[in-house]
Amino acid sequence: MALIECRSLTKAYKRGSGTITPLHELDLDVESGDFLALMGPSGSGKTTLLNLIAGIDRPTGGELCIDGADIATLSRSRLADWRSENIGYIFQLYNLVPVLTAYENVELPLLLHRMPGRERHERVRTALRLVGIADRHDHYPRQLSGGQEQRVAIARAIVTDPRIIVADEPTGDLDAESATAIMQLLTRLNRELNKTLIMVTHDAKCAGYARRALHLEKGRLVEPGRIGSEAEQEAAA
Amino acid sequence: MRLLPFDYAVRNLGRSAARLLLSVLGSALVVVLVIAAAAFVRGMSGSLNISGSANNIILLGAGSEESVERSEVEASTPGLLEASVSGVRARAGVSYVSPQVHVMLPVQTSSQQTKERQALIRGVTPEALLVHDMVRITEGRLPRPGSDEIMLGRMVGTSLGVPESDLAVGGTIVIDGRPWKVCGRFAAPGTVMEGEVWAPLLDVMAATKRATISCVVLTIDPALTDVGEIEVFTKMRPDLELVAMTELAYYGRLAGFFGPIKVVAWVTAALIALGGLFGGLNTMYAAFASRVRELGALQSLGFRRAAIVVSLVQESLLATTVGGLLACAVAVLFLDGLAVRFSMGAFGLVVDAPVVGVGLCAGLGLGLFGALPPAVRCLRLSIPEALKSF
Repeated sequence: MALIECRSLTKAYKRGSGTITPLHELDLDVESGDFLALMGPSGSGKTTLLNLIAGIDRPTGGELCIDGADIATLSRSRLADWRSENIGYIFQLYNLVPVLTAYENVELPLLLHRMPGRERHERVRTALRLVGIADRHDHYPRQLSGGQEQRVAIARAIVTDPRIIVADEPTGDLDAESATAIMQLLTRLNRELNKTLIMVTHDAKCAGYARRALHLEKGRLVEPGRIGSEAEQEAAA
Repeated sequence: MRLLPFDYAVRNLGRSAARLLLSVLGSALVVVLVIAAAAFVRGMSGSLNISGSANNIILLGAGSEESVERSEVEASTPGLLEASVSGVRARAGVSYVSPQVHVMLPVQTSSQQTKERQALIRGVTPEALLVHDMVRITEGRLPRPGSDEIMLGRMVGTSLGVPESDLAVGGTIVIDGRPWKVCGRFAAPGTVMEGEVWAPLLDVMAATKRATISCVVLTIDPALTDVGEIEVFTKMRPDLELVAMTELAYYGRLAGFFGPIKVVAWVTAALIALGGLFGGLNTMYAAFASRVRELGALQSLGFRRAAIVVSLVQESLLATTVGGLLACAVAVLFLDGLAVRFSMGAFGLVVDAPVVGVGLCAGLGLGLFGALPPAVRCLRLSIPEALKSF
């Protein structure tokens, strides 16, 4: 059974007198350990799909089962608990809390879990080390570059050891060099830690790091299939 | 439900120094005004309540229970009472029976010779110091009969709105066109007597051309008698046309008379607090609205809306609590004891624990109700919408 199963997944909402359907009866399976890139023009429904999988939005039709649980039926508070246990979210604009240090930002999701302070500390240190930003643990977001902020955001996404990491254009606000570093980091998470990664991107180069890419247009999948992995090419080189 | 760290709320206060200052000073101002209203009501009620003693019986002319100034009692009544009523306290052969005249008269002082103010003049005998044992002569002495001398309460200056230098012992003030020499000052903390002018009974009767007195105050020994027995006496002597009541009851009636003034004070305080609340709502909405995306991100991490609301309310409460404490400090330092003039004379504002409590509650209410609607409004957006906002 696939880790993520979407059956006739639909999202529609009313705007004025009309109805907009950003996602229309979409069927999709994502296996555990997959690295999926969602591509498509603006308004094609890729962020909507990502948000549904991340449990921060609700479908208006169809089924969405993740690890056997139909998350569309969960109450708002149960869904919040489910997110804290299963999802790590990486945003395009990092969304770090500006009044907290890098360490405290990474620690934030762990506060939702019962664990001894020592274990929490170890987890934060490990996550910061993994993304290569341990030396900046006491810096505030305003004291970090965009690439460093995104590393902290990635550390925050992985610190609870979630099964699924979703990333909404994680390199969209970065220069090419930082973008490459971030993509290499995400690839490591997928390859070495076996994290299931779903990433929305407009950038074909970034999509090249994924194991497979899906194209959406007007809320429908148009071109499922495997693509040549840039990471594999790098690895081969 | 797992909450956001308290540190998050504390540090959020530092995001905008101007907004923090506005919140703290705004809430401090509202709390100071609420405390002032509470201190006014408490001071007024307190001065009337303290002024009366449970063991003091006041005998007034029948039908004048509402105002001692309108009361007329035969001048021979004190002697009759002393001879007829048992259980009146006595010391060294002197009974605690004090005949008194209460009259409002225009007063002029050296710095305000063209402006007259009304003051309550109490004509007394030395027995007044026995029945009103809270009265302490702080300077000079009791006025001597036939010398046109007077003794002034500690708050007469406030009551008349004149500088203390006008009321110094040895000086002269003009009462109803006649000069009187100030021979003493007295204090009777917290009572309405502090706003009064005391003069010898016979001098006041002569000056006001009256043959009757206003009332007789006597102190009873509660082990030997009670107000009921005095009432029996007044009924047995209907020719005297007297009513008897405890001083507590008399001042209690007066307190009831000033009830509407207290209501106005509370309504004013409530309106000020409401104005402050709307100001707070605006400030907090501006503060939270600029963080909608961050609040969406916190929800996406798994924090529940209620946890975020708690954190935002904590933030607001912190600001208003600081403002409230600041206001309490200002009130204790500058408002407590501040003299206020009113028709009965003067009283001091009372900033005590209950008043400070009212102020702190107002501050906390401001923080809670000023933050809840903006917090709920900012969290009404769905998470995807919140994440898209700037």
